[in-house]
Amino acid sequence: MPFTLEQPTTVEEALRRLADPTGGPAVAIAGGTDLLLDLDEGRVSAGRVVSLRRLPWNRLQWQGDSLVVGSTLPFARLGADPAVRARLPGLVDAVDAVGSLALRHRATLGGNLGRAAPASDVVPILLALGATVRLVGIGGHRDVPVGRFVRSSRQTDLAPGELIESISIPSAPVSAYVWQRVRPANDVSQVGVAVARSDSPSGWHVALGGVLPAPTRVVEAEALLARRRPNDAEVELAAQAAAQRATFVTDKRATESYRRRLVSTLVRRAVARALRTEVGG
Amino acid sequence: MTGPLTLAINGAHPRTVDVPDDERLLDTLRWRLGMKGTKEGCRTGDCGACTVLVDGETTLSCLTLSREVDGSKVTTIEGIADDPEGRKVQAAFEAEEALQCGYCTPGFIVALTGVRRELGPEASTAALVDGLQGNLCRCTGYLAILRAVERVREAPR
Repeated sequence: MPFTLEQPTTVEEALRRLADPTGGPAVAIAGGTDLLLDLDEGRVSAGRVVSLRRLPWNRLQWQGDSLVVGSTLPFARLGADPAVRARLPGLVDAVDAVGSLALRHRATLGGNLGRAAPASDVVPILLALGATVRLVGIGGHRDVPVGRFVRSSRQTDLAPGELIESISIPSAPVSAYVWQRVRPANDVSQVGVAVARSDSPSGWHVALGGVLPAPTRVVEAEALLARRRPNDAEVELAAQAAAQRATFVTDKRATESYRRRLVSTLVRRAVARALRTEVGG
Repeated sequence: MTGPLTLAINGAHPRTVDVPDDERLLDTLRWRLGMKGTKEGCRTGDCGACTVLVDGETTLSCLTLSREVDGSKVTTIEGIADDPEGRKVQAAFEAEEALQCGYCTPGFIVALTGVRRELGPEASTAALVDGLQGNLCRCTGYLAILRAVERVREAPR
């Protein structure tokens, strides 16, 4: 179905155009790398597409110890930023895992969150890092933790007429994201495992992607990783707990039992990778 | 709806054409402007055959709405030899005979040119190959392509 493209330059205008009842249903587009395919194949039908690319959201900034990522900042810019690489290595692992470099020049963090794909490589690390999504609507702003924002497969807390403005991510120099898939650049992950160690309150967060009905934290595994530098036996127990806890699907990419085995291996790799920058113990 | 689209393609003076709002850059280049060097492979962002440079960045033209890049500079395979880096990449592909059927070649040459510009002349072979992960060769002629990447790295500046 053909659509018209609207390219507002202010947030107020974008919100007004999204809410405008004349001209039929409207959908917001950021990088478009996922949504354009759905528009082509009729999985999403909208007569109007409102581009967010000219809004002043294509930027990142530090607020104290947190990184605030504008929702339309392309992944490639996020992954190439030296401060982000040093303070949020797990986020960079996840961003670099998305598609190919050319795709990352367009795909955005806000778009990935808004589409809420169950195999998203980005949602698990945002869960592990305790990120918060800032939404804007006609009535003002609201802040929603990522775990409440992503409700289920392709379902989010975004209300009609609302937009994702930015994502706030507390820094975590000890963090990692690891994944397994058939081909690196043009497939999605069978499963992904994100881990991050926080100092206040102290403790590990572990989150899985490629599980049902949406990426999720596994508190059972987190409890078993109690210490700042867990030993091999503790990591092994946490890996098994994560594998037992999650609900996996069997599809063309992998069977349920293979995914379960992958998770256990990837939890071990993720913890080792997160600790790689720390010397000694 | 249609609207004006102004692009400066391959160093030429900016040119304005009227395009539908939902037209992709790939279709504007191939069917509206007759520049058939940029190839359509999968049309889903998986194969890289349609890679062009938009303001210097490797871009999948099949996933780009033309009117969203209004005002940009676009480099396609037809203009790559006018770029010194692009000429070097093209020469390396020629020297290594890094093509079989040739359909993926424009995408590879444009992508490697963009990745070299983005990562700099010191970028390792592994980093360059990583930048080409989104380009597929269905003839599986990757060994010659890999030799071309190495030849570009070793070429005099």
